[in-house]
Amino acid sequence: MQSLADHGVDLVFGYPGGAILPLYDEMVRHPNVRHVLVRHEQCAAHMADGYARVTGKVGVCIATSGPGATNLVTGIANAAMDGIPMLAITGQVARKGIGKDAFQETDIQGVTLPITKHNYLVPSVDCLPEILEEAFDVAGRGRKGPVLVDIPKDVLQAASQAKTAKPKPQDAQKPDPEQIRIAWRMIQNAKRPVAIAGAGVLHAGASNLLKQLAERCDIPVASSLLGLGAIGSSHPLCLGMMGMHGRAAPTLAVQKADLVLGIGIRFDDRLTGETAGFAPKAQIIHFDIDPCEVGKTVSPDAFVLGDLGQTLTALLELAQPRQRPEWRQQIEAWQAEFPVVVPKESGLVMRHVLHRLDQKLNGQAIVATDVGQHQMWAAQMLRFDHPRSWISSGGLGTMGFGFPAAMGAKFAQPHTEVWAIVGDGGFQMTLQELQTAQENSLDVKICLLNNGYLGMVRQWQELFYENRLSHVLLGNPDYQKLAEAYAVGFARCTEQDQIDETIEAARSHKGPFLCEFQVQMEENLFPMVPPGSHNSDLVMDPALPQAVAK
Amino acid sequence: MIRSHIVTGLVKNETGTLNRLTSLFRRRGFSLASLNAGDCEKPGHSRLTLVVNADDDTLSQCLRQLEKLLDVVQVQDLQPESAFRTELAIVKLSPSPEESQQAVLAAQAASPRPVQTFGALIVATLVDQPESLERSIASLSEFGLVEVVRTGLVALAAEQTVG
Repeated sequence: MQSLADHGVDLVFGYPGGAILPLYDEMVRHPNVRHVLVRHEQCAAHMADGYARVTGKVGVCIATSGPGATNLVTGIANAAMDGIPMLAITGQVARKGIGKDAFQETDIQGVTLPITKHNYLVPSVDCLPEILEEAFDVAGRGRKGPVLVDIPKDVLQAASQAKTAKPKPQDAQKPDPEQIRIAWRMIQNAKRPVAIAGAGVLHAGASNLLKQLAERCDIPVASSLLGLGAIGSSHPLCLGMMGMHGRAAPTLAVQKADLVLGIGIRFDDRLTGETAGFAPKAQIIHFDIDPCEVGKTVSPDAFVLGDLGQTLTALLELAQPRQRPEWRQQIEAWQAEFPVVVPKESGLVMRHVLHRLDQKLNGQAIVATDVGQHQMWAAQMLRFDHPRSWISSGGLGTMGFGFPAAMGAKFAQPHTEVWAIVGDGGFQMTLQELQTAQENSLDVKICLLNNGYLGMVRQWQELFYENRLSHVLLGNPDYQKLAEAYAVGFARCTEQDQIDETIEAARSHKGPFLCEFQVQMEENLFPMVPPGSHNSDLVMDPALPQAVAK
Repeated sequence: MIRSHIVTGLVKNETGTLNRLTSLFRRRGFSLASLNAGDCEKPGHSRLTLVVNADDDTLSQCLRQLEKLLDVVQVQDLQPESAFRTELAIVKLSPSPEESQQAVLAAQAASPRPVQTFGALIVATLVDQPESLERSIASLSEFGLVEVVRTGLVALAAEQTVG
């Protein structure tokens, strides 16, 4: 516990059990480290994840051996995919029981080998401070990620003579000046450049530098799902999310660009579409901190490895003001031609709710989402004027993530408005944390978009499986009764004209509040790049008059 | 073009180091043809020789992923012409009585170590570059090849390396 406190940990999320008991006993003597008792270990990991995303610090979660540890696995895998700094501490059976199938024994080191940056089984108490120091260091260095430390019960019980290790400062990776010069020449020569900003920009704290570079060189900035907020949504150069379900303009812009700057992105398949058809007219420069990302999916024409803060600073030193009015006008024309459609018809659909929520929040709140249609519409429609205010499960697509991640964010930033936007599928996976929210009087607001379907899966069955609906119809509990049972605030909305009052009821309530929006069951998400297709084959919203003519 | 690459590596001897390494090959779909690990000149470390079947891009991905493992100190792609390469094989033969003497002579010619006999069985230890080893095994196999065990390649860079 002292090691955790020395590393600046003030908040941990966890659940006790047999093998981890000595650590929980020690917590009583360390009130400076707040422990949030969750109702399922998976949510401890998701809360630590949400905490890490908004603070940039290492999120800490704790579980006991066996089932406690295996329940963390989804949350750890989620953090690994999105490069989130996390320390998972698990209890293990006493050393003499290891390998003997002792009660609640699981080889969690073996289980988490492929989903951690590194993991440890602590062999003796004297190694513990050094291992914890290295664990924090590894979690937060380079491309960040989760680290698991498995501690046998008898090691936890032993009194350590070893001094707790103090955290050491991390040197940022310096980019190669020659690579910077090459990149700079390519930017100078480009007529139609587009930057794609990813979560790497946020991790590096380089949002402001990106904005300066974009402004000085007149480069429009698209973003990946997790790069939202890297440049403020209200900024005229911000194009929003691109890719499979991104906005049309940034996706088209990348397809027509002569230079693509991938900044802190990993060119994942949801962003690029079929890579053979990605940015066909463009040279590509990849800026990233992780050498393993270079050429993994898309072969760049140039790459700059290193800390993005230093990279963008170096580029700014070379950058001369430049205007590209024709390219800007072309992109603005696409934005006008292919907006996100908010239906005019009566009846309540997700887009009505998210449109109004965006108007109310005005880019100032922290928003966490679950996974599915609502997530993509939220990414298309919500504005974020500040970095680290958008939390979403990108790489792993973890249903059930949204609500606990929002809670982790709210614990970290109690003075910022925090919303969880969830569907009825994902919410039912982790809604037991309503109890955790309630007993901590956590002022988190839930926007539940209840369509009674696994909406995204239903849409795919409709479009790609001849509408053979298989196991996508979801029953739901009476959420009003559920909210009453958990003693959290509740409002239900079934009509467009109730949206604003429902949102305001939540905002004026102190403590957790569940807004249930009973939306129409069938609503399809566009634009859409069909799986396996090129981004140029983007299918526009059929409601747009130009959609067919595209 | 997929071809065989020799990768040499220096790793720390930690619990699960080999497990991490082979797990990386499995989950990222890299093809590991052989792996050899053992103590080396550096206490607490092992030197590895891996034979990896990959095209150049995949090999480069593979090396960068290996470098990312915390227990890996250094990895290097060795060119066959600038590497000392060798492999050991033990070959067990069961020739017909008529061919027995001829088999012993052939085994002795191929083997730098004394050939042992156990009744009708002849056991030869071969040490050579993999291509020559293949040829020796092929020529001995006409004397009733029973079993072969091979260590896989071990290799060292010809030039001075760091690590």
